[in-house]
Amino acid sequence: MNEQIKQDRKPGVCIPWEEKLKELPEISGNRQLIRQTWEDTDALGYIYVWYCLLAW
Amino acid sequence: MEQLYTRRLNRYVTAMRNEKPDCVPIRPFVAEFTAKYAGYTIQEVTFDLEKALAAARKCAVDFDWDAVVPNMVHVWAGLTEAVGLRYYAYPGIQLAPDTCFQYIEPPEDKAFMKPDEYDQLIEDPTGYLFNVWLGRVCGDVNAKGQPTSYRNNMSFLKGGMAMMSCFNALAKQNELLRTECGTVSAISGILKAPLDIITDKLRGYLGMCTDLYERPDKVLAACEAFMPHLLYMALSGADGEKNVPIAIWMHRGCVPFVSHQHFDKIYWPTLKPIVEQIWAKGHQVLFYAEGKWAAHLQAFAELPERSIIFHVDQDDIFEVHKVLGHKFCISGGIPNFLLSYGTPEQVRSYCKKVIDTVARDGGYIMDASAIMQDDTSVENLRAMTEFTREYGVY
Repeated sequence: MNEQIKQDRKPGVCIPWEEKLKELPEISGNRQLIRQTWEDTDALGYIYVWYCLLAW
Repeated sequence: MEQLYTRRLNRYVTAMRNEKPDCVPIRPFVAEFTAKYAGYTIQEVTFDLEKALAAARKCAVDFDWDAVVPNMVHVWAGLTEAVGLRYYAYPGIQLAPDTCFQYIEPPEDKAFMKPDEYDQLIEDPTGYLFNVWLGRVCGDVNAKGQPTSYRNNMSFLKGGMAMMSCFNALAKQNELLRTECGTVSAISGILKAPLDIITDKLRGYLGMCTDLYERPDKVLAACEAFMPHLLYMALSGADGEKNVPIAIWMHRGCVPFVSHQHFDKIYWPTLKPIVEQIWAKGHQVLFYAEGKWAAHLQAFAELPERSIIFHVDQDDIFEVHKVLGHKFCISGGIPNFLLSYGTPEQVRSYCKKVIDTVARDGGYIMDASAIMQDDTSVENLRAMTEFTREYGVY
C-alpha cells in the first residue's frame, strides 16, 4: 500500500477516485457521472466494514 | 392509521425536544421480550430475521407504544455467521436455544488488535479494519499477505449481500410499523464513543486499561483518528426528516471502568465534538447510558440545550433529572428487576413517582432502564404501558 492511498482514505472512501482514475483510459463522456457512480458504490464497501465494527 | 402515527410522532418528538406533549410518550426498548410475547424461541428471533421483525410488529400492534426499535435483537445470526464473526455465542449453538446471544471478549493476549499496532490504526483506520481486523474477527477471512481462498471470498460476498438484505428488511419494517401499527421507528443511525470502540472490538477492556497507562498518547490519537469516521457513520444512517435521534450505545467509558482523568482527557474530548457536529446538522443523539454515569453528568450538561436525550439505566433518575432535566429530555429509569420480578402494583407505583417528578414539565419518555429481554413480565410491561397512558396525561 503506498502513502498516497493512506492519505486519501477519508471517511466514506475505500479506494479513492483519484486512484481509480489512473487505471482508466481517457474519459470521453461525463466524467462527473463516472466519478459519482464510483464513489457511491465505493462507499458501500466502507459502510460494510465500519458497520461490522460498530453494529455487529 | 396515519393519524395515529402522526399523533405518536408529534408526542415523541415534542418530548425529545424537552417540551410538553399531550401525554408522556412510551418508547420501550424491547429485545428478546418480543420473542416471548409472540411465541417464538430466542433462537428463532436471533436466526430468522423475518420472525424477529414480525415479533416486534406484533408487540407494536398489541401495546399502545409510541415508538419502538424495529428489531432490538440486533444481532441477526444470518449476517454475523455469513461474515464468520468469532466473538458471538448463539442460542442453539454455543448456548441453550432460549438463551440470549452473548458477546465474548477475548483474553488480553488474544485481543483483536495488538498493542504495537496503534500507529497502523491511526494512520489509516479503514485500511487497518480491512487488512488486519477483519482477518482476526472473521473466521473465514485470510490475513493480509496470505493466499486468497474460496471461504475468504465467500465471506465478503455473503457478508455484503446479507448486510444489504438486512438493511432492506429494516427499511420495510419501518414502513410496516408506520402503516400497520401506527408506530414510530424510535432511532436511526448508529454512534459509539471512540474509546468504547477501541475497548469493545479492538483491544478488549483489559488491554485498554493497560494502554491507558502505558501508551495514553497512542490511545488518544487512535480515538481522534476515529472521530471523522464515526461522525460519517452516524450521519450516513440518520433520519432524513431529523425527527428521531441517532443512538449512541455507551458501554465502559465511565468511572469506575476508567478514571476521571481518562474520561476527561480521552473519552469525553473525543466524543463531545462528534455530538456537537451532529447537533449542528440538526440531529439529536440518544445517550443510551448503560450502567452508571453519575460521575459525568456535569460534563454532559456542557452540551447544547436539547442536543441529546439522556437515557437512564442504573443511575438515580431523580438525581439525573435535577442535573440535566433543564436542558435535555430524560428517558427510561424504570428498573428492569421491577418489570421482571415485581408486581404490577409496584410497577405502577414506581411509574407514578417518575411521572410526578421527572415528567412533571414534559421532557420525559417512559421506558425501562435497560433493554428488555425474555425475563420481562408481560403483565408488568402491560401495567407500565396502561398506567402511563392513564396517569401520564398533561
